[in-house]
Amino acid sequence: MQLSLLQGVLKAVRAGIIVFDAEQRIVLWNQWMEQHSSFPADAILGKTFGEIFPDMVDGRTHVALRAALQNNFASLLSQTLNKAPFPLFANAGDAAAGIRMQQAVHVMPLEVESLPRHCLVQIGDVSMAVAREKKLRELAVELESQTLVDGLTGIANRRRFDQHLDDEFRRAKRNASPLSLIMIDVDYFKDYNDNYGHQHGDECLARIAGALCGVLHRPRDLAARYGGEEFTVVLPDTNEDGALQIAEAMRAEVESLKIEHAYSGVAGCVTISLGVSTLIPELAAKTGSLIHAADRALYQAKRTGRNCVVVYTDSKN
Amino acid sequence: MFQLTELQHDALIEIFNLGVGQAAAAMSRIVGDEVTMSVPMISFQSRAEVARTLGSDEGRRICAITQHFQGAFSTEAFLMFPEEKSLEIVRLMVGQSLSLEELSEMEQEAMSEIGNIILNCCMGAFANAAGKELQGSLPTYHVGTGDNILGVSGKEWDGVVLTLKIDFNIERHHIYGYVAFLLDMPALNDLQRYIDAYLAKLMG
Repeated sequence: MQLSLLQGVLKAVRAGIIVFDAEQRIVLWNQWMEQHSSFPADAILGKTFGEIFPDMVDGRTHVALRAALQNNFASLLSQTLNKAPFPLFANAGDAAAGIRMQQAVHVMPLEVESLPRHCLVQIGDVSMAVAREKKLRELAVELESQTLVDGLTGIANRRRFDQHLDDEFRRAKRNASPLSLIMIDVDYFKDYNDNYGHQHGDECLARIAGALCGVLHRPRDLAARYGGEEFTVVLPDTNEDGALQIAEAMRAEVESLKIEHAYSGVAGCVTISLGVSTLIPELAAKTGSLIHAADRALYQAKRTGRNCVVVYTDSKN
Repeated sequence: MFQLTELQHDALIEIFNLGVGQAAAAMSRIVGDEVTMSVPMISFQSRAEVARTLGSDEGRRICAITQHFQGAFSTEAFLMFPEEKSLEIVRLMVGQSLSLEELSEMEQEAMSEIGNIILNCCMGAFANAAGKELQGSLPTYHVGTGDNILGVSGKEWDGVVLTLKIDFNIERHHIYGYVAFLLDMPALNDLQRYIDAYLAKLMG
């Protein structure tokens, strides 16, 4: 009764169970093992580990088997570090394609009455968990890139810009060095979108983003999409003259893209307006003042005819 | 606190260095790159002292892999790292990660295997030197403060902790961790007796 119960359990259990005797001969091979390997128990009982798994001789599993038989130590073989040590397959299709089942393996010493020590090998199918974590990993990577990069243009997004400006603002404060900011707006972009369609509008923004980045060469310079058709550029250690030069280079670069814009009020192609502000931050200064000043300059650039650069000057001067 | 003679101390360091050397070889085979490990020092401390070393007072979390050994003597064995170090080790060994703040389920299992290899090798080297047999359990994975993990707040206990500082070098990264064995008085006496027997054998 007891024996048939145990046999029933061994047959029903959803894990691979192999028992090796002290001479590393297989003395038990349960039905799950028969199902997922190419070996029926009849063909395998009495054979040694090396005969059945010649590729695995002296490998990690074999070492663990010896540790159990000789030293009485249990071992864990994780999927992550060992992938799929045993030639086991989820189904016939995978077996034909040679795609092994992902495995977690436990190797344990087994005391058997009146016989030298045996070893129990337990194999679990962790394919589901592996697939779940792979998905999770992909999502994490996607999430990470989504949060700092603008999905449309591939350059830094607003969040990254905010972080970077904060960092550079602090640095400029510490070093009493000038920090410049450029705010950029695409001229007559609404008219472009309305006439050429949103798809072309998106392409246009991506090309402009590329052109802006092409002008920057220092590692801490950053061009970001600020929102809609607005871009912004952070220029650490850059005074007003330097920032003006870069802004002018950006204006010329975008113009030279020659993206046709028959509905522009200023040129036959897509152009940008730029506002520049520069600051050596004092102790109490906030990033907001720099952004506000660049915004004012941009407003001025649009009022004075677009496709141009305006540098912010304090109205008190 | 408990002290070994200089000779006993040196013998124990030698035995454990042999053990972690084997563990390093096993880990090198897994990662396909050179992993080296050494035990520069061992010491006997109280549980509270070990917990303090591991930053328990500041509430620092550590990651631990534990195994129970019994037979020649009985001990609870721990491999412990600051939590961020365990992330680093798994990332170096696996080469990919979820970049989450905690190890994922599969990564925890990988960490358990690393602990299993190191603890089995340390105890294996000792059992071998003593010519005795030890029985080792499967590893379990824990995260918590040193206090939680070593059970400092638990019941009164008259034993000591044998701690091994372990230096790892994986792909030019240097990481250190601790292996600890909880030893009660009988276990401590057994340990000392085995070392003496080992030394006597060496001296011929």
